[in-house]
Amino acid sequence: MSFLSPMSWDWMLLPAEGMMAHPGMPAGWVEMVLAGILFMVAWAIWIPVRSDPQHNSLSLAHLPVIGHVVSKVLVVPWLLLVLRIVVAAIFLLAIYAGLFGTPLPERNLATMLTWTIWWSGLVLAIFFVGSAWCAICPWDSLATWLVRRRLWRRGSETASLNLHVPKMLRSVWPALLLFVGMSWLELGFGVTVSPYATALLALLMVVLTTVSLAVFERKAFCRYFCPVGRTIGFYSELSPVALHPIDPDICARCTTLECYHGTADVEPCPTHLVMGRIKQNTYCISCDACSRSCPQQNVAWRLRNAGEEIIQAAHPRWDEAWFILGLLALTSFHGTTMLPAWERWMSTLARSIGDSGQLLWSFSISMGISILIPVTFFALMTLLTQRTIAAKPKYRRVFSALALSTLPLAFVYHLSHNLGHLVRESPGIGQVILNPLGSNTQTVMCTQVEIRHSLSAIQQDTIFALQAGLLLLGFWMAVRILRHRITRVLPNTQAATGGHILPMLTFIMAITLYNLWLLMQPMTMRM
Amino acid sequence: MNPVSIFRILVSLLCLLPAWPAHAHHVLGRPAYSLNEDSNTPPSMQVETQIGDYMVNMMVFPAFPKPGEQGRLHMYAALLDNSQEYQSYQGKVTFKVRDDGWFASAAEVLGTQEIDDKVYRQGFVFSKAGNYIVTAEFQVDGQPYIIDMPLRVGEPTRLMPIGVAAGAIIFVLVGVRAVQRRRRTHPKAKRPHEAARGEA
Repeated sequence: MSFLSPMSWDWMLLPAEGMMAHPGMPAGWVEMVLAGILFMVAWAIWIPVRSDPQHNSLSLAHLPVIGHVVSKVLVVPWLLLVLRIVVAAIFLLAIYAGLFGTPLPERNLATMLTWTIWWSGLVLAIFFVGSAWCAICPWDSLATWLVRRRLWRRGSETASLNLHVPKMLRSVWPALLLFVGMSWLELGFGVTVSPYATALLALLMVVLTTVSLAVFERKAFCRYFCPVGRTIGFYSELSPVALHPIDPDICARCTTLECYHGTADVEPCPTHLVMGRIKQNTYCISCDACSRSCPQQNVAWRLRNAGEEIIQAAHPRWDEAWFILGLLALTSFHGTTMLPAWERWMSTLARSIGDSGQLLWSFSISMGISILIPVTFFALMTLLTQRTIAAKPKYRRVFSALALSTLPLAFVYHLSHNLGHLVRESPGIGQVILNPLGSNTQTVMCTQVEIRHSLSAIQQDTIFALQAGLLLLGFWMAVRILRHRITRVLPNTQAATGGHILPMLTFIMAITLYNLWLLMQPMTMRM
Repeated sequence: MNPVSIFRILVSLLCLLPAWPAHAHHVLGRPAYSLNEDSNTPPSMQVETQIGDYMVNMMVFPAFPKPGEQGRLHMYAALLDNSQEYQSYQGKVTFKVRDDGWFASAAEVLGTQEIDDKVYRQGFVFSKAGNYIVTAEFQVDGQPYIIDMPLRVGEPTRLMPIGVAAGAIIFVLVGVRAVQRRRRTHPKAKRPHEAARGEA
């Protein structure tokens, strides 16, 4: 039998007996995605880049009926406060359930709510409402109430030491390290299947947020350290919704900058943004402080073309480019660890290195390799791209500019993967809400899992169609961004050609095909 | 850092991987463990893994034992070959236990068991709550086979995490208040950027 024949791979890819797994995408959808990719590759290589892309946007404040509601909602503090209180109360209940409830993850509110609903649903939410989650984040709400001792009004200046964040930490490197750490805890240490560990992690995040708020000025944790916030921030650059000035001219004439400095009642921008000069929403946490402090009420949600911000305005720094690459590598790694064969791979590696216990060494090595491979590949393709440009721009500049084109790949795979988990595993949440501690419950049996799946609101074929569509959307956005970003590193006199984009196009194709392959495989259920 | 340096670092890291020390297949850790329930048995914590020529399944009943409560370990070791017939390992298996911690004490032998109707059974009673590693050891052709499995006995400390978190937060908040009081009473200690902000 040939080593490459499908049969010889069955033992690696098929789920073990008794293991519950989600089905993979059928061949029909895969062929459709492949055809779409080929079409877009041909388009990308042969159709010249238009120098001035169309950009359409619409402020929601300008809409006939909704506009009035949106404008009002943004300036009244109580609505956001109510949402914050509700979310914080649920968060505290989840901690309580994690510490005092059943250790069965599928019966405990802490694990079900945190990993099946929140963690899976968060990425979907970014697609529709940008960074709105940050506005009601319970870590920040609790920290703010504890440190500032105000529910919504501006807190005392003396409540915090208001120290500047040390220069070496003023980047997203800390957030990237914490993101890698969280992924390690989630996938390697198995925090997702331990309500107790989930509760400990939640408590740790509250402590870190509170300490940061008490020591540093404004909300340094949100801007520099929070792995979730930075993930949301980068993904929200692709979202079709963002907070923006309604009339840029009003901001241009503004000399008082209430959005930046705050008012007697309203906090200043927690991440040091001036709304009138905002080009990219990466660091906007949608807290609405700017819309409440603006005397002209000139800030509102805006609809825009998805990806427009990256094409036109984003200027990623070196650390931000690495964060994006980290996201890309870790999202694919996430899917890889949920292949039914993953545990067998871990076993094989553990045998070869003599690992024992919880196989944390084996996992850490695999994780390191999984991050290294795409990053090395990207670095190599960047070098090739640099070689195609006669003016030889700086490597860092090309690296940072082109990293943006990989962001949609991470985002759509994250969406597709999470969509499967959310739709297929969330129907059990009703029972958990009724019994958050899971008192007197037993493990969920296979038949019950199958019943839950049959209750799923979205049919299997619809999930496959959405996943295929998302992959195509991501590929198209990545290619589009690449075509425009490459012109930023070319001299003004040089036009972008197919040869310039070919190396990075190869990278984008390779990652998309790997993610497509992952979606074709059966996926182990989280719980 | 130039691209050549980055590539040197990345290539060096990749080159290190094949050089990782390789051992024979007799030492094995554990993959993720899972809870299992079927109609005949109470919920159990179990690990199923391939080790050498055997597929080993180890179970702990009950899944979450308490101190002083009688529990038992079951282990099945099936020979992996192409025949359809189930062939179990026939030798003796030694069960051990040790603390699962950074400074764990030496392993304690729970007992050595012989096969009984395709399964090795080992009873246990833990006097103290804690995290333990239960190990099953046997030998095939002179090579040791070792399977580790984590076991939580009793319930973890519930109030301590809340106490530690609350303590850390209170400590920081009280510290901040003390520093601010000191700043107010010693205006010279005011940070330059705060002074500038105040003037603005």
